[in-house]
Amino acid sequence: MNTTVTEDLSLFYLISSASVFVQLVMLLLLLASLLSWWYIFRKLFVLRDAIRQSDEFEDYFWRGVDLNTLYQRATTSRYTAGSMERIFISGFGEFSKHPPGTDVDMIMESTRRAMQATYQREMDRLETHLSFLATVGSVSPYIGLLGTVWGIMNSFRSLSSISQATIAHVAPGIAEALIATAMGLFAAIPAVIAYNRFVSDTEKLATRFESFMEELSNILQRRASH
Amino acid sequence: MKTGKSQNAAEKEPGSLPAAALAVLVHLVFIGLLIFGFHWKETPPEGMMVELWQDLPVQPVVQPQPPVKSTPQPAPPPPPKQPPKPAPEPKPEPEPKAEPKTAPKPEPVKPQPAPPKRPDIEIKDKEAKAKADAKRVQREREEQKKREIEEQKRREQEEQRKRQEEEQKKREQEEQKRREEEALKKRQEEEQKQREREEQKKREQEEQKKREQEEQKRREQEAQRKREQEEKARQAAQQAAAAAAAAAARTQVESEIGKYIAMIKAKIRSRVVMPPDLPGNPKVEFDVTLLPGGDILDVRLRRSSGYPAFDSAVERAIHLSKPLPLPSDPALFNRFRNLDVTVHYLE
Repeated sequence: MNTTVTEDLSLFYLISSASVFVQLVMLLLLLASLLSWWYIFRKLFVLRDAIRQSDEFEDYFWRGVDLNTLYQRATTSRYTAGSMERIFISGFGEFSKHPPGTDVDMIMESTRRAMQATYQREMDRLETHLSFLATVGSVSPYIGLLGTVWGIMNSFRSLSSISQATIAHVAPGIAEALIATAMGLFAAIPAVIAYNRFVSDTEKLATRFESFMEELSNILQRRASH
Repeated sequence: MKTGKSQNAAEKEPGSLPAAALAVLVHLVFIGLLIFGFHWKETPPEGMMVELWQDLPVQPVVQPQPPVKSTPQPAPPPPPKQPPKPAPEPKPEPEPKAEPKTAPKPEPVKPQPAPPKRPDIEIKDKEAKAKADAKRVQREREEQKKREIEEQKRREQEEQRKRQEEEQKKREQEEQKRREEEALKKRQEEEQKQREREEQKKREQEEQKKREQEEQKRREQEAQRKREQEEKARQAAQQAAAAAAAAAARTQVESEIGKYIAMIKAKIRSRVVMPPDLPGNPKVEFDVTLLPGGDILDVRLRRSSGYPAFDSAVERAIHLSKPLPLPSDPALFNRFRNLDVTVHYLE
């Protein structure tokens, strides 16, 4: 147990004995890693919920329920509604606001615009923080490398004042410098993986929304022309 | 937008706290892994260091050591016990030995009393007989002594003979051995001599072979030198021929180039509309850059004649005279890429 305590100290000693710049880099990387993981989990939950809600709504929608009842059900549960449901609400709301007898093309135009606006807003919501993940994934290795290079530079500079240089003089400096690279990679790898995963998920959702919009507008056009 | 924001806020709040907790958890796990990784890396070497020199040989016994220490204490006692056990055994043995020794002793003692018994009998029967008997006994004893001495002498003589015979045998054997060894040595020497002769023969043969090979090499080298010299001569001749051909070609080319330059100059000169009444014989020099096919890319005045009317007339003539005549061989175009055109007022 005594030995383990000393090794703990050696790890933390390495970090605490690093130069201020390297420490700043480590702090930055730690913050970036924490934030990116926070966003990763939030995004994970949000996307999972969005996919589940879209599945449920599509399932319900294609059962052939009357659109009015569907609209009423959707508006009553507005805050638990999914993205697809909200697109339906905005589209059908806009469609039903027009008095009967208005030009069908005009009605379809405005409903399409309303659905498009909601679609944009939903996609924006789903894509928030993805750019942050991409930034962390691409930049944090470089930040870590910068810290490492700086630390190694310092360790070599301190070497110059010693007449007899051994590995023991350089090794701790290099080790503490390499911690920065490790942290950078730790921040970057999950961020990149999550970014790719989330981008593909949002793209799939976007195609689903778009096809739903097209189908809904077809249904509404048929309803208006009758 | 307000609704969107409110919706976002509504959706963010439920998921963000657990997400933050999970993020912190991930980092704690990572740091824990890092620390445990350091343990895993650093503790085994230390264990090795301890085991290598202090524990390894004794390790199997280290834990039992306290019991072992207690057992050695009993263990010494058994060895002492064992020595005593053998000790008593020898002791009884000498005692039986002593008994047989005592037993024979009484037997010689018995014959000693026997002679006194005889005198007792002799005294009882007759003194003469006793005396005679004593004499006989004495004679017999003397004879026995003489016989014993003779036998001893015979034995000694026989032993001497045997020794002499053995010595002779030994000498003969040694001589045989020596002869055999000498024969062996002679054979070995002869074999060595034969080997040396064979080796000498081999060496001589090898030397002869080497000499022959060297001679062959020399011959081959000489032949190669001759060939090389011949080749060099041939190459020199070929080069000379090629140089001559090239020179001829050059002269041909030069003559052709000269011809075309003259044609170009003539063409340009034919297009110049000479300004009238210029004093003396002024001269204009132009740098003309040509394109393949005879088109003019650029015309630059290098040295003016001092009469701008003449300069412009020549420049106009150069532009008018395109396409300039060029040789059909495209390889020669490089010589015409940058032309110096000089025009004299008077021919």
